[in-house]
Amino acid sequence: MLLRVDDLTGTHAVAAAIAGVARVGDVIVLAGDMGAGKTAFAQGFGRALGVTEPITSPTFTLVHSYPLSRRLTLHHADIYRLERTSDIDDLALPELAAFNGIVLVEWGDVAGSALGDHLEVRLNHVDDVDDDDDGDAADRDEPVDQPVDQPVVTSGDDFADAGTREIELRAVGPAWAGRWDRIARAVESFRC
Amino acid sequence: MLILGIETATEQVGVAIGGHEGVIATFEVAKGRRHAETLTPAIEFVCRQSGIELCELGCIAVDVGPGLFTGMRVGLAAGKALSQALRVPMIGIPSLDLLAFTCRHVDRVIVPVIDARKNEVFWAMYRPVPGGVQQVSPPTVGPVDDLVGDLLARSQDVLCIGDGAERYRDEITEGFRCEISGPMYPSVGMLVLLAHARALREEGVRPDEIEPIYLRAPDAQINWAVRGARP
Repeated sequence: MLLRVDDLTGTHAVAAAIAGVARVGDVIVLAGDMGAGKTAFAQGFGRALGVTEPITSPTFTLVHSYPLSRRLTLHHADIYRLERTSDIDDLALPELAAFNGIVLVEWGDVAGSALGDHLEVRLNHVDDVDDDDDGDAADRDEPVDQPVDQPVVTSGDDFADAGTREIELRAVGPAWAGRWDRIARAVESFRC
Repeated sequence: MLILGIETATEQVGVAIGGHEGVIATFEVAKGRRHAETLTPAIEFVCRQSGIELCELGCIAVDVGPGLFTGMRVGLAAGKALSQALRVPMIGIPSLDLLAFTCRHVDRVIVPVIDARKNEVFWAMYRPVPGGVQQVSPPTVGPVDDLVGDLLARSQDVLCIGDGAERYRDEITEGFRCEISGPMYPSVGMLVLLAHARALREEGVRPDEIEPIYLRAPDAQINWAVRGARP
């Protein structure tokens, strides 16, 4: 499902709509380049659930937890700084979800099956879409065992919050498939 | 010798003290999943109610999994801290052994199954032998279908136990006719009894020698270059 938002407010609104459909046990992967709006999405998501503290990127702390009630804690993880899949396993993110949690994972698209069933939210600068495709194609030509590289940064305004974004939603595993209609209704006004 | 047992590898938090006279005190809570918040007060409670000072303990026993990462970590950290502070040895016993040992009196293959989340389970197979159980297939993690395949391949009378067996009761009994009953979680009392026997044989180890059994997927470098590649 492909959505389009014009500004930060739109990203927050989509995040809030998805938060309305999310439930305890959910893992939501936030994908996209630096500055694409992953943390902005997390902020909109957290606000919608009732988080009042500032939501900041957990790049260096790995996981921020926001207890909301006895029955719900929002966990916001960022695995960008990790280098091995065992480091991701150590965070036990699916367990955090299973224990009365909802887990947002920035850069979680590299983790593959380690996260179990999840919803993938991919954010892209619209201007960057073509560049990204070229970048990915070039990346795949490189040897697989190369040292860990920083993700390719393709444009100068990556940290800008303004600008149009495409948001692609994709369910991995059956946990989200049953709610697809509800998600579609919730984000109807942003559909492309 | 007095043993303190700590069991946090499943949804249950268990603490027990026992020795040559058997289990003296037990605390078990299987609801709430608040391992970190529950464990230390539980140790204090068990000691106070049984009138035993921490300095009287001769060994710390822990359930080393497989099971919940988050729970195991709490139990192992607390156990190692106590072991170091009290300068007493530790004994680690796998969760699947504990479950199987509880059912040592049956005349069938015993298959403890622990919920591993993400639709997977941990399991191993044991057969009863005089005085205990003997492992006949090693601890494994995988989808329930793999467990059913394993049961079919063995094709013997089987007793499945544990929270994983309970959770996937329908899937298991649909694929293989077997009985599912017995305890949901490893018994911390059993942990103390088994550890006591081993402590008497001086099988205790240093805290840094105690390692959790994770049974996770093989480690690999994250390939950041192909990030976003679609399956």
